[in-house]
Amino acid sequence: MSPQERARFERRISELGDRLGKVRSQRDAGEHAGAEAETTGRGMAYGMRMAAELVAAVIAGGVIGWALDWVLGSRPWLFLLFFLLGFAAGVLNVVRAYERMQRDYAARGGGIGHSVPDGD
Amino acid sequence: MPDPIHQFNLERIFPIHIGGWDLTFTNSALYMLLAVLLTTAFFVIATQSRALVPGRLQSVAEITYDFVAGMLKDSMGKEGMKFFPFVFALFVFIFVCNMLGMIPGGFTVTSHIIVTAALAALVFLTVLVVGFAKNGLHFLRLFVPSGVPIAILPLVTLIEIISFLSRPISHSVRLFANMLAGHITLKVFGGFVVMLLGAGSFAALAPLPFLMAVAITALEFLVAFLQAYVFTMLTCMYLNDALHPGGH
Repeated sequence: MSPQERARFERRISELGDRLGKVRSQRDAGEHAGAEAETTGRGMAYGMRMAAELVAAVIAGGVIGWALDWVLGSRPWLFLLFFLLGFAAGVLNVVRAYERMQRDYAARGGGIGHSVPDGD
Repeated sequence: MPDPIHQFNLERIFPIHIGGWDLTFTNSALYMLLAVLLTTAFFVIATQSRALVPGRLQSVAEITYDFVAGMLKDSMGKEGMKFFPFVFALFVFIFVCNMLGMIPGGFTVTSHIIVTAALAALVFLTVLVVGFAKNGLHFLRLFVPSGVPIAILPLVTLIEIISFLSRPISHSVRLFANMLAGHITLKVFGGFVVMLLGAGSFAALAPLPFLMAVAITALEFLVAFLQAYVFTMLTCMYLNDALHPGGH
């Protein structure tokens, strides 16, 4: 190869490298955005879940208390008691759901963040 | 402004009255029937060839099977496969109903709490029946955690019972609330686009809510799948309690 040919060849190689780098960074950004959207969706789902767990237990407790009051004629004392117990049950639900969530995340391979890309 | 709640209206398609019961066939019933027919048709066609190397349709069917079977095995082990038909039907039904609701002008069956409550009650009753049938009175150990001092045991048991009874409520409300809220948001942003377009020079702002509506549509597809998944996952978790009470 003559020196000119060699120079041209090297220029082409470096151009190709630049183009490849650009495509790669675009693709990575796209994948990152996709992962981000999925994390947001999951986060919202878990948030809704926690809220539902807490509220459902308070409602369940309230309804039980109200029904017992209705049967025993002791309004409003059992309603108040079971309302508070329902709140305690709600906190218990949330703690259990959270523990489970943590376990699921650990099982899925590490923390809440993005997975580590393998170096290929 | 277009009414964002209108999409949830029940419409009578043809009335059926049997012995004083109003069993009218509504648009909700139509979409449920549609979901069942579509699912059945899909799986019948997809599994027709039974090829060793699956084609595209068969792959989808197999992936769905593996997905649900994986969830069951993760939470209950091999034993859980007894519940496979029930859990698989539940997952596919909710998923297809959610997706049918994403078709413009379609009706979302799962945005009515009576439907999700019926599904949650079905799971709850299954847990009770299987729990008592398999473990007898040992099933009640679910409410008595081990290692609690006698003095506060009644209180803790009471709280556990309320926690158990709250399950069908949170189970049904979560799916219903997600679908309802998502579809209303979508409709409201769509309504903004129409209102801005009809408001003279403000029409220049119309693309903003339109872009938002596009983004929310994408999110809604994710939510439609995710809620079917979450509902099924919690079903697995509750069924696990029926098989192994006291295994917290």
